[in-house]
Amino acid sequence: MLLGESRVVPSLQKAVKASSADETLIAAQRGGRTTLRFSGGRIHQNFHEEEVSVWVKVACEGRMGVATTCALSPEALRRAIETAMTIARINAKQVGPAFGTAPPKDPTPKLTTYFPATVKKPLTETVQMIRRLWTQSAAIGVDLAGSFVAGEDELAVVGSRRLTQYQPFSAAGLRLVATQAKASGFAAQTVRNLETLDSQGLAERALEFCRKNKDPQPIPLGRYDVLLEPEAVAELLEWLSYIGFGAKQVVERTSFMAGHLGDRIMGRQISIVDDGADPQGLGVPFDYEGIPKQRVCLVEEGVAKEIVYDSHYAKLHRRHSTGHALPYDEFEGPLASNLFLAQGQTPYADLLKKMDRGLWICRFHYISGLLKTQEALMTGLTRDGTFLIKKGKVAGAVKNLRFTQSILEAFSQILAVSKERRLVADPGQGLSAAVVPALLIKNFTFTGQTK
Amino acid sequence: MISARTRNLIDETIRFLKRHGVDYADVRWVEQLHEEIVVQNLQLQHVSHSTSEGASIRVLSHGCWGYAASSRLDRLGLKHTAKQALEMAKAISLDSHTRVKLKPVEPSRARYQTSLEVDPFQVELQKKLDYLMWTSQVLKDHPNIKTATASLEFYRTNKLFSSTEGSLIEQEITESGGLLEATAILGSEVQRRSYPTANSPSLAQAGYEYVKTLDFVGQATRVRREAVALLRAKECPSSVTTVILMPDQLILQLHESCGHPVELDRALGMELSFAGGSFLTPDLLGSFRYGSKLVNITADATTSQGCGTFGYDDEGVPAQRVPIIREGVFVGYLSSRETAAQIKQLSSGAMRADGWDAVPIVRMTNVNLEPGTGTLKDLIRDTQRGILLSTNKSWSIDDRRLNFQFGTEIAWEIRNGRIGQVLKNPMYTGITPEFWRSCSAVAGKGEWQLFGVPNCAKGEPVQLMHVGHGASPARFEKVQVGRKTHAPR
Repeated sequence: MLLGESRVVPSLQKAVKASSADETLIAAQRGGRTTLRFSGGRIHQNFHEEEVSVWVKVACEGRMGVATTCALSPEALRRAIETAMTIARINAKQVGPAFGTAPPKDPTPKLTTYFPATVKKPLTETVQMIRRLWTQSAAIGVDLAGSFVAGEDELAVVGSRRLTQYQPFSAAGLRLVATQAKASGFAAQTVRNLETLDSQGLAERALEFCRKNKDPQPIPLGRYDVLLEPEAVAELLEWLSYIGFGAKQVVERTSFMAGHLGDRIMGRQISIVDDGADPQGLGVPFDYEGIPKQRVCLVEEGVAKEIVYDSHYAKLHRRHSTGHALPYDEFEGPLASNLFLAQGQTPYADLLKKMDRGLWICRFHYISGLLKTQEALMTGLTRDGTFLIKKGKVAGAVKNLRFTQSILEAFSQILAVSKERRLVADPGQGLSAAVVPALLIKNFTFTGQTK
Repeated sequence: MISARTRNLIDETIRFLKRHGVDYADVRWVEQLHEEIVVQNLQLQHVSHSTSEGASIRVLSHGCWGYAASSRLDRLGLKHTAKQALEMAKAISLDSHTRVKLKPVEPSRARYQTSLEVDPFQVELQKKLDYLMWTSQVLKDHPNIKTATASLEFYRTNKLFSSTEGSLIEQEITESGGLLEATAILGSEVQRRSYPTANSPSLAQAGYEYVKTLDFVGQATRVRREAVALLRAKECPSSVTTVILMPDQLILQLHESCGHPVELDRALGMELSFAGGSFLTPDLLGSFRYGSKLVNITADATTSQGCGTFGYDDEGVPAQRVPIIREGVFVGYLSSRETAAQIKQLSSGAMRADGWDAVPIVRMTNVNLEPGTGTLKDLIRDTQRGILLSTNKSWSIDDRRLNFQFGTEIAWEIRNGRIGQVLKNPMYTGITPEFWRSCSAVAGKGEWQLFGVPNCAKGEPVQLMHVGHGASPARFEKVQVGRKTHAPR
């Protein structure tokens, strides 16, 4: 159960007030979630966790220190501040404030991110829902594996110069993998409000892909036009963000954006923004430093435009933070994690019809984007449904394939973008998502095949 | 040290659960400390000190699991958590037709502690920082080195495990390690070299003395030199050839293509919704030829200094040394009490959670390639044409762990039994059993190296486990290096 703003914020304010550091910033995230994992007609892992994470950042005479703890008690907070101050004493002096502790100049957008219904549903009802799905699939000889997650969190950030931010949020999700012999199909959905979860629709989708995926055949390796489902597009986009959209990667020049801001790096059909305040996504309106999340246009009609900052990298670049700071004990730099890929003009149902010959891919597995980050060269495999398309129709299932492909090149060869978009996210996390369309791409390179 | 108050509270919770007539229950209290120091380009970039403490309660009642975890460690908090676990087991059992069976284990009352010389948490922060500054200075000392990063990490985990069967196990595990990374840039060319592994620090279950053995300052010169050499190196050509993998790449090959597929929960389909299944299904146990006769792989939770070493796993099963691949034949699984019961075997003691707030699942311990004979020099000398690959850079494998592709930071040409020029951007690909069956040599004990991998991801929500891998350099024949060339369709 959430403690609420009236209990969390004062406990942090009290600790900040008692701190003898010049500046003190505390972020606290507290929540609980229930997870059920199932396969073979039984729930084999089920657990409920309640967790508190607290990150403390202090500045003492221009030196910074970071510490974390896992409790909101006055003693735990006092000890964390003391540890951070001990660390600050050995740190190098920095010029000017590295982080803000006063209320931000820009207003924090209002966003409804908490729905009590998400955590109120009795566990027995959820178990019955899963049982219903099993029974349906078992009747046609298909096994249904998957997971259900439902949880709630509250995030608060308090700074010594009266910065105060608080946001509760909920998230729930269902992932399903339908299997029959070597065939499999996948479907997943993540929602803020559990009442909007369409478990029946997901099961039907997973079963439909599994049915189509029977007796997969090998095909010659090479270049194929591909129709990527939103789940596959989202994974590519998340990797692009991880290796390229943050200021750290640009400073270190490992990003494909480094030295190319203002250049065309993708096709005109590709526009990518990060917007933590867009209610279609899964963001909260401020980051772990309490900075309101800005809408950042990363790629506009194929042109590299902007990158995201936290306070540290903003200072290095003489810019303002865009509200993309991670928890203070992370060293990855700022991260764009509320990604939106612009929708296109083509109805989803017409995408397949546009393919003369190609592959329809439901999702990817185990992508690595570290091959050549400057070119966004990535590898990965198809999973749970790869289909050969001939003259706009499914001609048969294909064995899982490995791609090795520059995603900058792929996103420069867009044939069509769907009108409809889907939210793809991890329900166990509840703070990040990609909202993406399906993409029809020309000449995607496949370099390997599974047995 | 675990306080008397904590012991009493856990004891009280076990009695409470017994009174509720559970089939079985355990309480696991965990306290974790983590310190991280990062120096980049002679500037202290990041220092943090993290603590986390909580307890998890696992209940088997009416034949079903209930599990709850919380950082509320007072009497009321633990009771609340215990009730949540009981309620969950009851809710699941109302609609369940199967009953969980556990393989029996002898109750233990024991204590395990990492053997160490210097407690890393007692070493002054300033001393650690000075060492990293010195390293960073050596690493950065070339105009083409754009980013020189040196870091140290230390972990301490205190655990108390108590079960209704009478086990009471206390463990204190200390890990130390670090990472060097040099990124060199010339025009649009960007290359990176790392040590001892890449992407994350290599850890050992040891004290600060391990940091000294890593010899960061001495290694920094080589790392810098190789990063700069890669800027002007030739692209690694695509071909089917002989490859020799150095231990810092071979450990990832072991991890992905052997460690994960022998996790019995995967093989039984329990990870299908997330990480996937395994091609090593139980019907293949004892007969499937996984590799050549030179391939012997062991899951050893007793390896000295291993990150997968412990006294007991997180359900009180003693640490074991289990053969996984014997002379190329698949002979064993990593398993838990529940999964082992499903194939009528004993648990291999591999049930672990990455913290108090995570449910224990089957994890790797130290999955090691046992040493063969000879030296790396012998392996190279006996190779007419081939490529020597070192330090993992990228990794990808399919959901049944068959089709893999790895990239490494650096490679060297081998010509007529000698090392030749440096090659950049190398990668290789294959099918797991075909690859291991092509193993033509494994170097001996003298070149066997152990690494600690702190970021093995598995489970929902994802848990990051510390595991260990040891290997000597090994040679493989007819391996596809680079991308397969194929005719246009």
